[in-house]
Amino acid sequence: MSLPVYLTPIERLGFYGYRLFCYAVLFFLIMPVLIIIPLSFNAEPYFSFTEGMLRLDSSAFSLRWYEDMVTNPQWINALKNSVIIATASTLLATTLGTMAALGLSRHNMPLRNAVMALLISPMIVPVIIAAAGMYFFYTDLGLAQTFTGVILAHAVLGIPFVVITVTATLAGFDHSLTRAAANLGAGPVYTFFHITMPLIRPGVISGGLFSFGTSFDEVVVVLFVSGVEQRTVPRQMWSGIREQISPTILAVATLLIVMSVLLLITLELLRRRNARMRGMRE
Amino acid sequence: MNKSDTHYVRFLNVQKTYDGENLVVKNFNLDIAQGEFVTMLGPSGSGKTTCLMMLAGFESATQGEIYIDGTPVNNLAPHKRDIGMVFQNYALFPHLTIAENLSFPLKVRKLPKSDIEQRVKRALDMIELPQVAGRRPGQLSGGQQQRVALARALVFEPKLVLMDEPLGALDKQLREQMQYEIKRLHERLGITVLYVTHDQTEALTMSDRIAVFNEGVVQQLASPTELYERPSNAFVAQFIGENNKLSGQVEQINQDSCVVSVEGCSVQALPVNIRQCGEPTTLSIRPERIQINPDASYDNRFDARVLELIYHGDHLRTRVELMNHDQFIVKVPNGAHPLAISKGDQVQVGWHRRDCRALDAMIPGRP
Amino acid sequence: MKYEAISAGALDESQTIGTPSTNNSLKMQLRRAERWNRTRAFLLVVPLLLFVGVTFIMPIMDMLHRSIHDPLIVDHLPKTVAALESWDRQQIPEDTTYAVLAQELVSLHKQRDLAKVAGRLNTEFSGMRSLLSKSARGLARLNAGAGLESAADTREAMIRIDARWSDIQPWAAIKNLNSRYTLSYYLAALDMHYDVSGDISAQPERRQIYKALLIKTFAMSALITVLCLLLGYPLAHLLATLPESRSNLLMIMVLLPFWTSLLVRTTSWIVLLQTEGVINDVLISIGLISERIRMVHNLFGTVIAMTHILLPFMVLPLYSVMKNISPSYMRAARSLGAKPAYAFIHIYLPQTLPGIGAGAILTFILSIGFYITPALVGGRSGQMISNFIAYHMQTSLNWGLAAALGGILLGMVLLLYFVYNRLIGINSLKVG
Repeated sequence: MSLPVYLTPIERLGFYGYRLFCYAVLFFLIMPVLIIIPLSFNAEPYFSFTEGMLRLDSSAFSLRWYEDMVTNPQWINALKNSVIIATASTLLATTLGTMAALGLSRHNMPLRNAVMALLISPMIVPVIIAAAGMYFFYTDLGLAQTFTGVILAHAVLGIPFVVITVTATLAGFDHSLTRAAANLGAGPVYTFFHITMPLIRPGVISGGLFSFGTSFDEVVVVLFVSGVEQRTVPRQMWSGIREQISPTILAVATLLIVMSVLLLITLELLRRRNARMRGMRE
Repeated sequence: MNKSDTHYVRFLNVQKTYDGENLVVKNFNLDIAQGEFVTMLGPSGSGKTTCLMMLAGFESATQGEIYIDGTPVNNLAPHKRDIGMVFQNYALFPHLTIAENLSFPLKVRKLPKSDIEQRVKRALDMIELPQVAGRRPGQLSGGQQQRVALARALVFEPKLVLMDEPLGALDKQLREQMQYEIKRLHERLGITVLYVTHDQTEALTMSDRIAVFNEGVVQQLASPTELYERPSNAFVAQFIGENNKLSGQVEQINQDSCVVSVEGCSVQALPVNIRQCGEPTTLSIRPERIQINPDASYDNRFDARVLELIYHGDHLRTRVELMNHDQFIVKVPNGAHPLAISKGDQVQVGWHRRDCRALDAMIPGRP
Repeated sequence: MKYEAISAGALDESQTIGTPSTNNSLKMQLRRAERWNRTRAFLLVVPLLLFVGVTFIMPIMDMLHRSIHDPLIVDHLPKTVAALESWDRQQIPEDTTYAVLAQELVSLHKQRDLAKVAGRLNTEFSGMRSLLSKSARGLARLNAGAGLESAADTREAMIRIDARWSDIQPWAAIKNLNSRYTLSYYLAALDMHYDVSGDISAQPERRQIYKALLIKTFAMSALITVLCLLLGYPLAHLLATLPESRSNLLMIMVLLPFWTSLLVRTTSWIVLLQTEGVINDVLISIGLISERIRMVHNLFGTVIAMTHILLPFMVLPLYSVMKNISPSYMRAARSLGAKPAYAFIHIYLPQTLPGIGAGAILTFILSIGFYITPALVGGRSGQMISNFIAYHMQTSLNWGLAAALGGILLGMVLLLYFVYNRLIGINSLKVG
């Protein structure tokens, strides 16, 4: 972008200062995420770049922390638990959340704002409060230290994301399409599965991914509600950081970053697909 | 002809209210014969779309009955009515291809696959767009989408097709072209069409009959010629075509003539819906029925002053001041012997009594 | 073809629907139909409402209940509590009260329930734990021996075991907890207590910690919110004004951290900021510092890490507001003769206020309830209210106090949530 010729030197300086500041903020945002990746290949048990790494000496890099991760049964078990819990809670949150979003999007929904505020509250209320409450309540119900308990808790934390994304998708939904389907002879059930569902599917999947990501990253509820049996990846990282921080954590962190990148790409593809289905040309 | 031919669609004393207070549709009655093209014309909010939606089953009538082919349909779900419909924004399913959109009504009717393919192909040929079968609605132009919507409403061979302002989103030229195409399809297929629009030209060119709506009431139901030539009230006269209106008072009333005084002048007119002497009335005169410098055969002749002349090619639009009324329009045809008048000229204008209709006095907002 | 003319009614202007009575029944019909439609919409939401109610709202209600429910003393020392009912707190109670307490203490000691009771009373008046266990042991020994003849003997025996029984303080402690429902946890969470005379008064200076903690939590959250706004505003502006192709690329740099695990980002800050970490290495190698500085496990590290984590929550609402501000406003202001700074302050800034409000309230709400990052990088100085809730839940096991602190935090968050809902509207809440 070239600057207009009429700017005074101070204005020019201000413009470049503003640009520089913005790039510095972007650096601040992205650097901590990216720096983990090279450090996870460190051949030494340090958390900083060794001289060898700075010289790009290949012997200074190794996969030993990744090896450690995949050979350690604790991490493998944690990964297994995380996948089970995240998948189950996502299915639960997505089903209930989508149904509720369909109701909330009807123009004649009573108490719409109050219900919405209630359903979104798990995103707003500090997790520590929810976790403390669940600690007592789930123990009374016999759900503490069970997979069911953790799955229910994670599902409720994921629900706001599903409700928000699906209601947003439905807000752009053209209701004359369901009328058209009825007019062409399709019953309500057929219309839902062949017209409504395919059109809101990108929103439903996005909501599900948000919910999955929330569960996969959740540690506070796990700390309070789960037992040793239900140790998840974040729980394992938590003790790793608290007790003695080993570079294996950096290898796990790198894997989680790769997962976030994949998640981000999927969401972007869904967004584009959604836009395309709406007939907006790219 | 049996009864269901002339009463193929029947609205009987239909009323619609959303809140129990205000009637959106007030006591609506309409009979449509099989094969007829009927248009509901009116300004937005006049209740015409509501009537269409009640027939399609998306709104329910608060009172009254709707019959299709002699059967009451009030309690029939929309998807069991077998009515084709073209929606205002087409409502083509964006995630399905054109061929899939067209086969949708056939699939839900569980037609055999080969039959479906054949019919879809025929429908695409009919709208002359065989090449778009594999595309999505978003990849088509507005005109193409419109044709596909039309084809989709016809592909399952409904006897009745509803159209809710189907041409509203198109530009003028395309709209005119589509008007002829729809008309042509209607004649070829022999279907019954109920059409909704707010565009009077569209209504006049396409319809067998037009129901003019205003504020939930049908103002007049008649053929296009009838509506234009013989409007039965001031709203219709004003809404259809261009119209000069003069407010006056009935002075004298006979069988087929009356005298109305307008600003001290006595005007000879045709009584249409006036009842007695002394009541206020609106006179309606079409601008093309007025003659400048008329001969003695005209029973109304008055002095006027030319205020403005606008050249329109085929005619000269002349605004004159007449009876203290400065918005009086005269259309002077640009014929073989053009009139030599210019701004500021004093002229005489005249019209026949039969072209000057004495209608109700239009109360603003309540025709 | 012959068409039936439309009925005369079509032109009748005075057309209304029937008499007033049919009109009313019509209204009722419409209302019934409307109610059915509303019920159908509501039925779709009911399963989720039930689910959220059971798995989320009821646990929180349970916690709030615990913050005022305190039946321990009433259940375990019922007779003493009853005997103290008429006590005036002026001088030591009657001898019979001593006898009743002695009896209850001994039986508690036998049932091994004494520790709980003593622990609870100790949070009201420190020293009660040792006093009660010492007395219970002594009384049990006496009972096993000769036994105590009269109530007066019991009193004397107790005072002989510990002289504090001649004071009114231990009695006041028991009387203060004489109800199943109490505000004492909330008072404790606000550095107050019921004193000897049963009135609410401030805790002694050295025992005051929570007021300062609340203030610190607020101050840290405010600081983090301001930092996020200062860093986020220009960035959001840049993203909103750059051409699509370039802003998309930069947007990824905002969204990737947003999507990265919280624990990963916290780990990363520990790695970066620790004494042997990358930032210290860099600062030393460029000669800016000569000695390694401690930047993590303290307030500084917490604020930096939390600002990093919450920055996207500020940038995204600002961006979506700025994206919808047409550049023609600034152009118009400039064409009317305003200098860039004037045009920015008077034209652009006011239009971004909704975004500032949304971003700031969201960031503030999220930061006052933050737990993970302060717990991992906070050290002693970076602890926030959430960390104390966790401490009382898991370590001190003073669940009532944890619940009361949770109740106070919840109150503040809900208040802000309400403000957010009023100012910006819940429907504008977006994710990603």
